[in-house]
Amino acid sequence: MKTKKIIALLAAAVILIVGLRAVTYGYNYYKAENVEIYKDSDGSITYRRVDDGGVSDIIIEEDIEKTNAMNNVAAVVFDFRGYDTLGESFILLTAIAGSFVILARNKKSKKEETADEV
Amino acid sequence: MKFKDGIKGRNIVVKCAADKLLPFSLVFGLYIILFGTVSPGGGFQGGVMVASGALLLYLGYGYAKTRKVLGPNVLRVNESLGAILYVLLGVVGIVFGANFARNIFFDVGSFGDLLSGGTISFMGWTVGWKVLTGVSFLLLLMFSLLAPDSSEDEEEEEI
Repeated sequence: MKTKKIIALLAAAVILIVGLRAVTYGYNYYKAENVEIYKDSDGSITYRRVDDGGVSDIIIEEDIEKTNAMNNVAAVVFDFRGYDTLGESFILLTAIAGSFVILARNKKSKKEETADEV
Repeated sequence: MKFKDGIKGRNIVVKCAADKLLPFSLVFGLYIILFGTVSPGGGFQGGVMVASGALLLYLGYGYAKTRKVLGPNVLRVNESLGAILYVLLGVVGIVFGANFARNIFFDVGSFGDLLSGGTISFMGWTVGWKVLTGVSFLLLLMFSLLAPDSSEDEEEEEI
């Protein structure tokens, strides 16, 4: 138990320090005066602005160039929106964990009730 | 009519239907997971289809046998393993100097191959593995509420 606690505290400390560093660095670096939106969007090699459609045009027209995947939906889910899919799968994980806790406890309480009745 | 947990109490029609339909559902779901980048489908859909095999198993053989075959602890471990693998595949993009979950190796094969999508296909497989084990674990939890009291002696060891 002690080693587990130490590992958890270490992980929390690392996450906290990295997060604080990122927040302070970003506060100094990403100020509105320093950001030039058009320069950033034109300068990137992989993602460029298409005239009116924006992101949807990029996804539809340049799907094969960017991802080489035949299924456009899979390309959107796992490449363009990979971070979103991470959140979805973690929602499933937490839902299953929560239902596990609730159902296991229900069973125990049922057993206790029957034991009391008898 | 009451279903007992053993095989004898089951209706033979239900049992035969479960036997016949189980391989089809498993093969079709695994096909949808594996060929997510090439044909319609993906990890989530195929995972749920494979997990419906657990439902067929329960309909045919009852709670105790389903639990003996699937093993809740194995399912739990595999679910978290799939989530960890997905995060590691997302971190590959950061390691090579791009965003999280950016597809770096998309030029692997020719267009239409199974591995042509780079990390897309691997991510689809990990998500499919995670959803498969997670949803079948959820179904197993629900079956445990439907199970009769006669099998309580086995359940005291776990959950």
